[in-house]
Amino acid sequence: MRIAIDILLAVGLFFHFIGVLGVLRLPDVFARLQASTCVATMGTICLVLSGVLYAVSQGSGVGTYVKLCLLLVLVLCTNPVSNHALCKAAYQMGVKPAKELVLDDYKEDEGK
Amino acid sequence: MEKTFRWDRWLSTFVLCFLFWMLLTWSVAVRELALGAVVSALVAAFAGRFLIHDHPFYLYNPVRLVMLLVYVVFVFLWEVIKANLSMVKIVLGGDYKPGIIRIPGGDQVKSLYGLAAVSNCITLTPGTITMDVAEDESGKNYYYVHWMDVTETDREKAGEIIKGRMERWIGRIWK
Repeated sequence: MRIAIDILLAVGLFFHFIGVLGVLRLPDVFARLQASTCVATMGTICLVLSGVLYAVSQGSGVGTYVKLCLLLVLVLCTNPVSNHALCKAAYQMGVKPAKELVLDDYKEDEGK
Repeated sequence: MEKTFRWDRWLSTFVLCFLFWMLLTWSVAVRELALGAVVSALVAAFAGRFLIHDHPFYLYNPVRLVMLLVYVVFVFLWEVIKANLSMVKIVLGGDYKPGIIRIPGGDQVKSLYGLAAVSNCITLTPGTITMDVAEDESGKNYYYVHWMDVTETDREKAGEIIKGRMERWIGRIWK
């Protein structure tokens, strides 16, 4: 049990590390937004799972698991909304991607 | 869709809010329940018309709830793990080719809830962000997706790669 908790914690922290490293390292807004999704998905899922296992091993009540799972649901529901809004706003403000886009259907169809 | 107050919308939102409150407090004390009911009723009165458009009790169907759970726990988690591993490669020095691609939506997802669910799932997998959803004259939906690593420029096949399985599952839940 202890080992499982530690492994999940390590995996979660690894994906958090990757997400933060991506935000610092990648060149432009869009790529950084993509990297930040790592934090919200795998990082949070693994950390919440390890928290649930820890609560089980400590013999906490059912309320603790439910609260942890609700935390995960809230993060997973709110992250795409902000991500989508930031991505679209950055595009419409005219932020130039650092790397040339392979194809850009949005530009053609919006007629900009 | 009209934005007027309707009691079925209010009731549907109220039940959702109250369930959420009960899960969050995890207590059956009369004071907690009463406070939750008051707050849920107020929130439902204001937010019901934005949250519920038609078929207020569509999701309160055990089969759909179980399918939603199966979808999130198995199908969606597997997609997220795969996408995360490829994202790790890009961040740790891999090369990538970004692009914004227009992928056609399938026939099985038509409602606003379904479209929102599919675009949120696309955004939640690292490497793809939905930027916009558009509808053409014949009623076919298109998603504009910013794709981190464009491996397939054919739009049909790209759509299958990005959202194929997820869209089929959501189509079973929300149509």
